[in-house]
Amino acid sequence: MQDIVKNFNYKKILSDKRALVILGIVISIIGIIVAVTDPVRFQILITSVSEGSFYALAALGIGLLFGVLRLINFAYGDWVMLAGYALILPSTAVTSTLIIGSFHPVLIVLIIIGFTVLLSVLSESTVFRPMRNTNPAIMMIASFALGYVLQNLTIMIYGGRPKSAGIFEELTQTVDLAEGVSVPLLKIITIGVTAVLLILLTLFLHRTRIGIQMRAAAEDFRMARMLGVRANFVIAMAFVISGFLASFVSLMYVTQIGILTFRMGTPIIVFAFIATVIGGMGSLVGSVVGGMVVGVSSVVLKNILPGSIRGFSDAFVFGIVIAILLARPQGLVPAKSARERV
Amino acid sequence: MDKVLLHVEGITVHYGRLAAVRDVSITVNEGEIVCVVGPNGAGKSTTLLSISGVLNPSSGNIVFSGEKINGIRPEIVARKGISQVPEGRHVFTTLSVEENLRIGAQIRKDRAEIEKDIKRVQELFPILGERRRQSAGKLSGGEQQMLVIGRALLTKPKIMTIDEPSLGLAPNIVDRVYEVLTTLREERGMTLLIVEQSSERALKAADRLYVIRNGEIQIEGKASELQDGEKIRQAYFGFNDEKNTVAEASS
Ligand SMILES: Nc1ncnc2c1ncn2[C@@H]1O[C@H](COP(=O)(O)OP(=O)(O)O)[C@@H](O)[C@H]1O
Ligand SMILES: [Mg+2]
Repeated sequence: MQDIVKNFNYKKILSDKRALVILGIVISIIGIIVAVTDPVRFQILITSVSEGSFYALAALGIGLLFGVLRLINFAYGDWVMLAGYALILPSTAVTSTLIIGSFHPVLIVLIIIGFTVLLSVLSESTVFRPMRNTNPAIMMIASFALGYVLQNLTIMIYGGRPKSAGIFEELTQTVDLAEGVSVPLLKIITIGVTAVLLILLTLFLHRTRIGIQMRAAAEDFRMARMLGVRANFVIAMAFVISGFLASFVSLMYVTQIGILTFRMGTPIIVFAFIATVIGGMGSLVGSVVGGMVVGVSSVVLKNILPGSIRGFSDAFVFGIVIAILLARPQGLVPAKSARERV
Repeated sequence: MDKVLLHVEGITVHYGRLAAVRDVSITVNEGEIVCVVGPNGAGKSTTLLSISGVLNPSSGNIVFSGEKINGIRPEIVARKGISQVPEGRHVFTTLSVEENLRIGAQIRKDRAEIEKDIKRVQELFPILGERRRQSAGKLSGGEQQMLVIGRALLTKPKIMTIDEPSLGLAPNIVDRVYEVLTTLREERGMTLLIVEQSSERALKAADRLYVIRNGEIQIEGKASELQDGEKIRQAYFGFNDEKNTVAEASS
């Protein structure tokens, strides 16, 4: 027994692909078994998977652009933020008035998708396209700059104070799933919407010509172009999808929080970025796995840590992140590309 | 009179301030196999990448089917009918074998023809049919070389440029690759511009040959006229200068 303990080397397990998959499955199964025996734990399971889904979506929006363009887009959080502000009347008044946010739910979703996709595509054509042939560091700094511009624009138009924006309020009500298990409807919808979006994205990337071109370009952009794949088109498509995902991230977040601030994108981008890094930059499966790890561990730790240190649960999340990166600097599911673009 | 398909007219290509290729001219006629041989670092890949629009010559012109194409983006050059099989093969390892082939065909509109052409490529290289669902990264080096040739063919090019097809392959596989390339010319009239480090195999396959060294074309000629090999060796290694200096010194 002592031998086993002595020989237990977490780095070794994490660096072996098969061991890692088995570890992931074992953790999931243990999690589910532990959860189904107790209503409170089951609630935690649902909440944590929902949080994981949220970060998986956010991380995908970043991972996709990195995969195709080598762009680490820190303005992503500000797209999410602006999509939230789009719901209310543009004014610096203290109280906020829902405009788009008061429409029919289907209309709200469609308009916000359109708005965010447009914002994303405009960001591409005005900021990122002219910088495409510089290097990734410069593009990343440009994304910071764009983020600040968007934040300050928001302050100019809407004022710097937090504003309320209650949409889909019926979703924050709880539903009883079973005896003693009641969770907010929003959690379940978050999981469901993420699942649907993941399936759609997978089908798109594997079954459509554009999707296959995007995967090819993500692996080897120059080769793809030499086969006639249009660079501008593929990159624009990546921005469309990234903006599309950002709109859902925003709608979920605003429904949950009900308050808009010009800084609300920052925590989202920080966690989503960390998720893409531990998942493996540019790997889409990695983004989802990373988002799940970050979301689930954050919720679980908030619930199981003793009260005195519960407030520091994020520190433990980052501890896990560091442990993963020490063992697998390339991320949990590394991407197969990393060839330089010309 | 031979019809000129591709004419590289005195191009100079810079990486930063370094001129990797200086005043290089190459002519490829329709239906010809032209080989460019030269040592590592001579500027062969630079020349092919310029033809494909990946690099932009600082002077000189590239004329394809009578149209100037330098300065045009790589995806447009591909659509005009120049398909490159680059050095190091560059299969898309995360895509399946068949997806790799279909990427090649995506610039075409003739759907029925595409399906036929995919079948033909799979007949030419049966392994690509057998393994079509596998990820292309799992293929061996030789199989990957077949895949990228097949993929380039599916763009329906007027000319294929091939950068060191024998790189890293066993001799019997190299034979097979060259067999396929010469078949392509014989059966489909494909025009080929092949770049190699060693002149041996290139001489056998080529109609005409260029030797490039230090970014400059040293000699060119019909393969039949360069068979003795001494001229090529001189151009390749640059013994010429040495001989001259020796001769001068002794006189
Ligand atoms: N991306 C690059 N940046 C700077 N110099 C390069 C680059 N690629 C090639 N070179 C230089 O250009 C010259 C020609 O290279 P290349 O065309 O690759 O030669 P070959 O294909 O004949 O081996 C070499 O001196 C090489 O070092
Ligand atoms: Mg080369």
